[in-house]
Amino acid sequence: MKFDKIFPFLIFFVGLLVQVTIIPLVSINGIVPDLILIMLVYYSITRGQLYGTVLGAYYGLSVDLITGSLLGSAMLSKTLAGFIAGYFSTETKRDINISTFNFSMIVFLCSMIDTLIFSFFSAFDFNTNFVTVLFEHALLPSLYTGVVSILFIFSPFRRKRLL
Amino acid sequence: MIRFFTNVWNNFKEYIVLVILILASLIILSQNKSPQVQKVRAIAFGSFATFTSIISDMFSVTDLKRENQQLRERNAELMIQISKLRKYGIINEELKDLLGFKDTANVPLIPATIISRSLSMTQNMLTLNAGRKHGVLPGMPVVNDRGFIGIVHSVSEDFSIARTLNNVDLKLTVMDERSRINGIMKWTGEELVIINIPNTFDIKIGDRIVTSGISSIVPLPLPVGIVEEFRPSETSGFSYIKVKPFVDLKPIENVFIIAEVQSKQKKDLELNFYRRQSDEIR
Repeated sequence: MKFDKIFPFLIFFVGLLVQVTIIPLVSINGIVPDLILIMLVYYSITRGQLYGTVLGAYYGLSVDLITGSLLGSAMLSKTLAGFIAGYFSTETKRDINISTFNFSMIVFLCSMIDTLIFSFFSAFDFNTNFVTVLFEHALLPSLYTGVVSILFIFSPFRRKRLL
Repeated sequence: MIRFFTNVWNNFKEYIVLVILILASLIILSQNKSPQVQKVRAIAFGSFATFTSIISDMFSVTDLKRENQQLRERNAELMIQISKLRKYGIINEELKDLLGFKDTANVPLIPATIISRSLSMTQNMLTLNAGRKHGVLPGMPVVNDRGFIGIVHSVSEDFSIARTLNNVDLKLTVMDERSRINGIMKWTGEELVIINIPNTFDIKIGDRIVTSGISSIVPLPLPVGIVEEFRPSETSGFSYIKVKPFVDLKPIENVFIIAEVQSKQKKDLELNFYRRQSDEIR
């Protein structure tokens, strides 16, 4: 039971390893799917909003520390993404939300929130066009992440965790 | 009282935790420049980079890698020499001799391999497998055979993180090689632009852009890119200058760190000059 609680905290490092080494190989015009966010949404739905919020903060802070981005920016964005994903964690709809295409929609929504907040700290300045930021820095990466999350719906990993 | 707090916690715990974590994020955001934070960051990425390098090595062939590295090292040396020759061709060689310019022909290069890349389009970073142990220091320029790539930002014992040209936090003083006009180049999140250049300044499409000698970050004239678009603005009086970089960051694997930071002697001299000026004003 205890290991089950800390497992998402440990599996993060494997996810990040894949994110920084293998995922860039499937980038489209510099846009990469966010594997960490998919993991975060999955655990937020299956384990509840409180757990998702704390996990989001942990994932974000670790990403900031390891990748060299502005410290605290990913922590803030992923905390909120985890919190939002937690809203889809109701007892009655939990299974539907992770085993159907609802999951991709939730990932897309959380990714939009995550990338928008993250872009606020990195991409915005006085000359920045908000529509451009919304489209290129938030919408396109979120779409890609949402599409990739479809694979996750059918993955044996998810099925095993459901049991 | 305790019951009240228990009730509040039970009813609003998700929101309480959210607010605490958001506040924590904002506090951390304000502590980015702190030396302690930099130290923790260096340890974190240094430890993680050890694992990343193992995965990264699995994707490369050892023998070809070594041969490639030697060839790239030679290429990078030649690139720097060519860049210097271009500069010397523009400025009169004799005048330079008279003024006692020193020829710094051989710059020391530290070879490094990119073991991971950052996730962000706006804060592009590279993790390199060369660190303090190899002589890398923050502020050293990162290049390859095509030109300038970025600047070393953080260093651990075995690894370093470099901010690339595609990072909004890297603002670089550059120069038009033909007209010798200096300007600040930055990444907007979509393209590289030189900002605050008045419409009347002599910049043309196709001009080569190199790092400027007056830069406090990069002391050498390294090729950066060419002017791809030049559009004078009638309203602001400043031109829009888009630069196409020589280096495509996506396919690169091996880079070189120029083991030279801005001369401390020069820095001290400038500092003394400014101090003297401010004393005179007083």
